[in-house]
Amino acid sequence: MYGFKRFKDESGGLTDNGREWNADKARLALEKLEVPVGLFNWMNVDAGVFPLYIQATRHAEMEAIDTLLEEWQKIGFNQLEVANRLSECDLYVTCEPCIMCATALSILGIRKVFYGCANDKFGGCGSILSLHEITKKLPRGALPAKGFECKGGVMADEAVALFRCFYEQGNPNAPKPHRPVRICPSTG
Amino acid sequence: MLEAMKWEIIHIHNEPDSSLEVHTVEVLVSNIEPKLANSIVRQLNQLCPLDNLRHVKRVQRRTSQGKVELSVILCLADEHEKDTEAVPIGIQPFIRAYNLCPIRTKVAKYPARSKEEWEEQCKIWPTSFHPSTNCDGVATLSDEDMKMIFHYMKVAIQQTKLCYSGAKVLNAAVIVDPVSRKVIASANDQTHPLLTTSEPSARYGCIDRCVATTVPPESHPNTAGSNQDTTLQKFSLRRCSDIFAGVSCLNPWDWAAQELGKQNSLVKRENKFTWHPLRHAALVAIENAAERDRKLFPNSDVSESKSEALDVLLHTTDKCPSKRQKIEEQIIDKEVSDNLKHTEIMRPYLCTGFDIYLVWEPCPMCAMALVHQRIRRIFYALPNPNIGALGSVYKLQAEKSLNHHYSVFRISVPEQDIEELILNTSDNTSQC
Repeated sequence: MYGFKRFKDESGGLTDNGREWNADKARLALEKLEVPVGLFNWMNVDAGVFPLYIQATRHAEMEAIDTLLEEWQKIGFNQLEVANRLSECDLYVTCEPCIMCATALSILGIRKVFYGCANDKFGGCGSILSLHEITKKLPRGALPAKGFECKGGVMADEAVALFRCFYEQGNPNAPKPHRPVRICPSTG
Repeated sequence: MLEAMKWEIIHIHNEPDSSLEVHTVEVLVSNIEPKLANSIVRQLNQLCPLDNLRHVKRVQRRTSQGKVELSVILCLADEHEKDTEAVPIGIQPFIRAYNLCPIRTKVAKYPARSKEEWEEQCKIWPTSFHPSTNCDGVATLSDEDMKMIFHYMKVAIQQTKLCYSGAKVLNAAVIVDPVSRKVIASANDQTHPLLTTSEPSARYGCIDRCVATTVPPESHPNTAGSNQDTTLQKFSLRRCSDIFAGVSCLNPWDWAAQELGKQNSLVKRENKFTWHPLRHAALVAIENAAERDRKLFPNSDVSESKSEALDVLLHTTDKCPSKRQKIEEQIIDKEVSDNLKHTEIMRPYLCTGFDIYLVWEPCPMCAMALVHQRIRRIFYALPNPNIGALGSVYKLQAEKSLNHHYSVFRISVPEQDIEELILNTSDNTSQC
């Protein structure tokens, strides 16, 4: 799960309101037995939880992007207008975006990404690859590639706690054979 | 068929880049008394296991003037430490106890993939070499397999032409079940607002659309007249590479610079988006495969007991995925031939066991999406020097930390064949 913040002031990091992200949406995911990637909800960006067992690419970031793009296309923004708006957007997400999502965020030209815990298996913002610094990797001027600023470790403990609870509960959508699903009474 | 003879499949290894130049890492070594070798090595394996250097032999043995000399790797050297004497605190007592004199030296960082590479490595420090047991190498492909692979690559290449839109060729993706040899899903890039192929049936009968969406003459550099055929014939891969500008994975950041304002005139389809910067061919194909999955298996509550029973069977038989898969296939075949209604068993988990054919090497977003979706093999024809994730810029298949690894093959297709396949508007789909 995710959240976008249209950047309005120069506070940069989390404001007091920013701390409201937390567990509500992630817990919702938890109840629906989806992976809780947590939420900072700004701008009413809020998509339903998509079943990952059919399409494992519907990560929270991708859902968020789709919701935004749909909304903006309805308004009638063209590509340039959408690009300009995205370049003023920040993303808040519980877990470091994976390589796929990090590339996507770079393609979209997002301004900043704040994440909770690092993703040491798939992370695309420094853990495995550094796609937020893609301009450093590619020869200069070869492409209009865009990196983005990235800040990890935001409320990391809370993010980790959510994940821990989810995986203790067991992921029913994981390939079988796998740990059995247990009802976790503490998720309410 | 003559044409197929010139086609070639190249396995893109899932190892870090290959060359005879040996990538090295620094370690601390010390000469030891041969009599003590046994106990020293045993203790070191406990104190400082060389987890990422399993291919490196712990002990080097040399003979000088008829005398055997042994030296042993103590531990990895701290690469930031200038002081060559510096030894991790953990093994300092050990070094004192045996009166060792640590010195720095280099060893090969990665296991050798060829005998030649191994010989190079051993010149600096002995390593072990295990010839590749990769069961997905090209050598194991039968003629039948090759024929099928070439066929589907042709299908994919032809599809770039079929969506010839705005004077640009698009990337195409075809997901295939190699067992049933059926197309599971296919798609083109949909990052462009002018694209008119969002219907699932776009693969068929696209010729009309192709002609209909072809280019206003001025947008093509080589256009002499308004005759579309002339335009198409003058297209050449070599002469106008800007024709590839519409290939999403090649130019992922170009979406914002595309022609503006025209999407308003588009009839809105069932699709939520008239354009989407992330709808690269591979991602759309994955989505189409998921859609198929949803339609074929509307009941998402897969019969637990049955699939669990199957899984138990699979799990206990073998750890090699290909063997597991064979067994799975046999079981499924048997089920089908028994004409049982147990269709739940055939429900694929994501795209497990499926292959994808892409005309261009995918960008990291698409390549990672294919990891998530558990694709088995990727075949692509043209490298992506801009931002290719499977060999050209990144090498995702070599990232050990990922939870799934596919095999990657490049199909080298003679340029004239590609041109022919893309441009030849006459129906040549019956080849192969």
